[in-house]
Amino acid sequence: MRPRALPAPAKVRWAMLVTLLLAWELVPRTGLIPELLLPALSSTLKVLYQDSHIYWAALLVTLYEVALAMLIACGGGIITGAVVGGIARLRDLLLPVFSSLYAVPMVILYPVFTAWFGIGSESKIAFAGIYAFFPVMLSTAAGIRTIDPQFILAARSMGATLTQQVTRVIIPASLPAVFAGLRLGGALAIIGVVVSEMLTAAAGIGYLVTLNRTILDSARVFAALLMILVLSVAYYMLARAIERRVVVWQSVGRAPKAAQAEGGPGVPVAAAA
Amino acid sequence: MANLSQTMTVPGQQDTPPEKAAIEVANLSHIYAGAQGAVPALEDISMSVGSGRFVVIVGPSGCGKTSLLMMLAGLRAQSQGTILCHGRPISNPDPQRVGVIFQEASLYPWLTALDNIEFPLSLRGAPRDERRRRAQAMLILVGLEGFGERYPHELSGGMKQRVSIARGLVQDPPVLLMDEPFAALDEQTRMTMGHELLRIWSKTSKTVVFITHSLTEAVFLADEVLVMSARPGRIIDRIAVTLTRPRTYEMMATDAFGQLRERIWHQIRKAD
Ligand SMILES: Nc1ncnc2c1ncn2[C@@H]1O[C@H](COP(=O)(O)OP(=O)(O)OP(=O)(O)O)[C@@H](O)[C@H]1O
Ligand SMILES: [Mg+2]
Repeated sequence: MRPRALPAPAKVRWAMLVTLLLAWELVPRTGLIPELLLPALSSTLKVLYQDSHIYWAALLVTLYEVALAMLIACGGGIITGAVVGGIARLRDLLLPVFSSLYAVPMVILYPVFTAWFGIGSESKIAFAGIYAFFPVMLSTAAGIRTIDPQFILAARSMGATLTQQVTRVIIPASLPAVFAGLRLGGALAIIGVVVSEMLTAAAGIGYLVTLNRTILDSARVFAALLMILVLSVAYYMLARAIERRVVVWQSVGRAPKAAQAEGGPGVPVAAAA
Repeated sequence: MANLSQTMTVPGQQDTPPEKAAIEVANLSHIYAGAQGAVPALEDISMSVGSGRFVVIVGPSGCGKTSLLMMLAGLRAQSQGTILCHGRPISNPDPQRVGVIFQEASLYPWLTALDNIEFPLSLRGAPRDERRRRAQAMLILVGLEGFGERYPHELSGGMKQRVSIARGLVQDPPVLLMDEPFAALDEQTRMTMGHELLRIWSKTSKTVVFITHSLTEAVFLADEVLVMSARPGRIIDRIAVTLTRPRTYEMMATDAFGQLRERIWHQIRKAD
């Protein structure tokens, strides 16, 4: 369908990125936008280099919080999702509740969490953990619920025990949905941590954003933003890479070398001999 | 074996059945306890399928063909009646005795063709090289040599169904149950697959129970066609197909073929 003249999407994406970075450097330098609103890329990188120990320390705090939040969200989300999705009773009872909870803007909980857990890492972990929990859980539940019953019937007909049905059919069959949930959940965990750091904190990258914004140090604000950006993109790419390796059969764009002639190759057409 | 033969019985098998029946169904009935009351699905089914025979079941939609097959496979318990497979009752799925092939190929998309065929062997912990060897042999039998590393989404509908047949055959069960295995295929592929199935069947001497909605397919494949009534399903006719084997596509144009087809159609219309 696509004309051959178009360049590969990957090339286009790289070109877009380079253009964006160039614009980031050049537009403030020409004075089109004042450096207070948008500091040039080079200025941003410079403070990042100068204050690297501060940013590294902040990154470590943020990473630590994100990691624990993901652990809660992914562990809890997968287990709860599997139970809720797998048991019809619970599903009918709880799934509507969870789905509507998902629509609640979770940020409103954060003040409560700071009251409960203080303004240290614990409140960020708790908040981001809950925030990311829902997509993982809902996705896992949906993945298990939508497993083709024929898969399980076939396994039973081949003599699979109950344990084998779970490990050999239900788990692999729900992997794509679980991974989709993890990808989204991980992204939300990062958002949750950064947002809560920006609201009330004494450490972390989000805190650096807020701190430097109040003293109008744009370069340092953007340095922190850049780190968050890189962190999110790195996470996303890592998640995709793992997903692609584990869920091989789902990856689109595998060479569709299927079926030339219907009969298949080398089929002796002669009847029974 | 040696001391068995001293007693006057036939060595090896416990009482060889006088008629070599692979499947013996007696007075089988089934009632589903649905949400809107009980649904009688099958009523007083009795049938006997001789060893090595190819029996086709036809009947109006919803008459209980799939239900019957599930019971023959031990996948669902009947309300009443008995099912014997080579003289022994079937209560649980036993892939060593009965292989099942479903309409949707129901291959696992996360496994390659070869791994799919190996699946039943790996369930009972067969050693890896034995699994490979047997799966490879089946792949060749169904004419898919060289396609073992493909995933199901890289195969056509007909090829998937071949893999599914290979998977049903890999444990070498004497009985093969097939529930509309070719229904999702186009007419042309369907006939090719029927022809292929007969080739494989003649090589393996399995007992086959085959469900279909296609009367042409029924006559083309069967030694005997069982016609079921509308729900609750009963067997209302048994039609012996006396066409010679091997079956050829040319036979479909003959009068004998047309008459058999006509007779089945007549019964089904009455049944509906
Ligand atoms: N699990 C179930 N619970 C309740 N009723 C069922 C169940 N499975 C099947 N039935 C009913 O039993 C009847 C027979 O179903 P079955 O699937 O065996 O028919 P079939 O002959 O295979 O139909 P088709 O030709 O359309 O495949 C149908 O009326 C169906 O609605
Ligand atoms: Mg059916």
